[in-house]
Amino acid sequence: MATETQTQNVSVNNFEQCLKCSICTVYCPVSAVTPEYPGPKQAGPDAERYRMKNKAFFDDALKMCLNCKRCEVACPNDVHIGDIIQAARIKYNTHRPKLRDMMLANTDFVGTMASPFAAIANPILKLKPMKAVLHGVMAIDKHRTFPDYSSRKFESWFKKNAAALQDKFNKHVSYFHGCYVNYNYPQLGVDFVNVMNAVGYGVHLLEKEKCCGVALIANGMPKQAKRQGEVNMTSMRKAIAQGHQVLTTSSTCTFTMRDEYDHLLGIDNHDVRDSISLATRFLYQLIEKGEIKLAFREDFKKRVAYHSACHMERMGWVPYSTRLLRMIPGIDFVMLESQCCGISGTYGFKKENYERSQAIGKGLFDQIKEVNPDCVATDCETCKWQIEMSTGTPVMNPISIIAEALDVEKTRELNKQ
Amino acid sequence: MRFDVIIIGGGLSGLTAGIALAEAGKDVALVSAGQSTLHFGSGSLDLLGCDDKGNDIYKPIDAIATLGEKHPYNKLEDVSGLAGVAKQLLERAGIATTGDANVNHWRITPIGGLMPTWLSMEGMAIVQDPDQMPWKRVALVNIANYLDFPTKFLAAGLRERGVQVDVKAVTVPQLAQLRKSPTEMRSTNIAKVIESNDIINDIADKINSITGEGYDMVLLPAVLGVASSENSKKLLSLIKMPASYVATLPPSVTGVRLQTQLRKRFNSLGGSFFPGDQVIEGVFENNVLKGVKTAKLDGTTLEADNFILATGSFMSRGLKADYDHIYEPALGVDVDDMGLDRKTWAKIDVNEAQPYMEMGVKTDEKLRCLRNGTAINNLYAVGSILSGHNSIKLLDAAGVDMLTALQVANNIIK
Ligand code: SF4
Ligand code: SF4
Repeated sequence: MATETQTQNVSVNNFEQCLKCSICTVYCPVSAVTPEYPGPKQAGPDAERYRMKNKAFFDDALKMCLNCKRCEVACPNDVHIGDIIQAARIKYNTHRPKLRDMMLANTDFVGTMASPFAAIANPILKLKPMKAVLHGVMAIDKHRTFPDYSSRKFESWFKKNAAALQDKFNKHVSYFHGCYVNYNYPQLGVDFVNVMNAVGYGVHLLEKEKCCGVALIANGMPKQAKRQGEVNMTSMRKAIAQGHQVLTTSSTCTFTMRDEYDHLLGIDNHDVRDSISLATRFLYQLIEKGEIKLAFREDFKKRVAYHSACHMERMGWVPYSTRLLRMIPGIDFVMLESQCCGISGTYGFKKENYERSQAIGKGLFDQIKEVNPDCVATDCETCKWQIEMSTGTPVMNPISIIAEALDVEKTRELNKQ
Repeated sequence: MRFDVIIIGGGLSGLTAGIALAEAGKDVALVSAGQSTLHFGSGSLDLLGCDDKGNDIYKPIDAIATLGEKHPYNKLEDVSGLAGVAKQLLERAGIATTGDANVNHWRITPIGGLMPTWLSMEGMAIVQDPDQMPWKRVALVNIANYLDFPTKFLAAGLRERGVQVDVKAVTVPQLAQLRKSPTEMRSTNIAKVIESNDIINDIADKINSITGEGYDMVLLPAVLGVASSENSKKLLSLIKMPASYVATLPPSVTGVRLQTQLRKRFNSLGGSFFPGDQVIEGVFENNVLKGVKTAKLDGTTLEADNFILATGSFMSRGLKADYDHIYEPALGVDVDDMGLDRKTWAKIDVNEAQPYMEMGVKTDEKLRCLRNGTAINNLYAVGSILSGHNSIKLLDAAGVDMLTALQVANNIIK
């Protein structure tokens, strides 16, 4: 009985495990630059005790939390501080999201609207008067450059150029491309398909793909996020039933669908979770098992600095991407000190957050300038916007670097059965 | 995933071993479940501060020779040699210290006591002889409204030793802002605000203007220099009188700096640091540890020729207790309960030396762990997870961390 009491005495998100050491405060990127923010310990486990008694203790300042989870990585007692804070926002926040937040959050809707007009939308979004309107009316910061919308969606490219070729492979995976690949940067999806095909895997899209919902959660629209999540889970179940793993090229989409669906949105994903993986992890594990081989071009040379995106670090998967990159003989690899870049999805786009966002990222930008790499590698798309805008250094997903370095012919040969 | 050596635990002992091995050309990975107790650090490192009766030790190397046979120092080949190596390792990581292993000096605690210690980070206030305070008149200058620097206690402690103390406070607008969230006016946030706003000169001016002349020491809370000592040195150099820092209540800026610089050094030597993950299982074959599994890298076994367990004691969850036994949760290696009966684990008076503090994992003479009574050929333990000493009582924590780590690194390199 005594042992049972002791071992089963675990609360939601481990919040009673907090021993008030304040270590989380040291690593919170917001707490350091925003005196108004109560910090992870106070906003998380401390205030949760009060909120459980009376919801009037809910503090609007919690919306300043980036949900970066760096506090959780630092906590020596495995308190899910970020989860406690986000769950409180979902449970107690009564404000309706603003139009601007709804727009920023609906990445796929806005993408659908913008893509066909990319040739018009891109230059317009860059025009000073347009930025002034966004800044003034929409409260989207004028310093921000919107990521370009691509004139052709990844899905259209895939259907036209790749879909028909995929069935000839013996092994298959499904690809959750995410909004970014679809609307802003289809090249990453193309790179992914090329790499997977080279190692003998056919790539398939899910029957229906919705935005993973990370931006909806951050902008106070959990119900819509849940609806979209359920759609994704249904499609993924179908793919898994066919024996497919579901791969992504975005650490944040992966983290959201594997962990936040269950922890924050109450979506039952237990039968799907283990089949969702990041492409770098999938490749690394196959190489390790000896099931595939990569051959690289001899003339490939690049100085690459790796940035650990917050959710990548929280998943603990940084070693998969970095070990994979270090297999490329021509790479001069530098590991950057792990630090938040400050963008945190849509957070840094908001006028009220712009300065804070840049202040948070400053340490990282200084490091990058000092290392002076040919490119920065990271598994997160929003880090890419932030780092490119703030340092001018190009940022690439590890999969794109692999695609560039790969000797496709040789790799195909090596992986022929 | 394969490495030469895998270290479990990212505190002082794990990082010391990691750096020593990486310097010797080994491919090292370090798995760290959350940040370490260095965050409660004092800015000083202890080798051996007190004997078992609680008396201050003046000459630690001499005193080590008289320690009981269970103390981990007995498993070191050359204590004084390793102590020298430790100091140099810190220096190569950018951490300059004063002190040496033959004679202790004394540091000032945040509540005004004096404690014997081995190495102090540069800029920290130290006293060579506790019976002879080096200052007659001290200005104790706090940041206004900063609560983790209890000046009343500090002043009382110093006055008891015959020092005349004037307590003062300074502030600048950027720091006053921090009080908007009262819980967030913490040492590390103060440091970040001062450093990112470039207001060291303003603060120095304020300190100079309120202290005036006539002090032989200005004592300040150690709230500067999270990433390196550059800014903490700069402030001291701008103050017109001799000035130095006293440790604050946690989180400790000097401890975070120590942690950060050691980790950076480890990274720059090509070491792989896996933060926020936890070893949950070992794959043993005969008397060899083949690999470890972690909570996050599911589906992957981390393999290596050698492994080092550096997960710390109860506070760091390296050891766990339930109602009737004490165990090591990561790999299930043998724990030495020091022959203590359940009823005698703890003393009711919290200020007394607690017997459970001496418990830890069992090791052979080479510091290899035992499992079901047999030594595992390639698994070592270092730091405060080792049995046979009470670091709170003996003030030997950092010494045990660093010296056992260096010894094991030597054992592996050989
Ligand atoms: S780091 Fe963890 S244990 Fe420490 S105060 Fe924060 S939540 Fe609590
Ligand atoms: S999730 Fe990030 S921003 Fe939010 S409290 Fe934790 S460290 Fe701070």
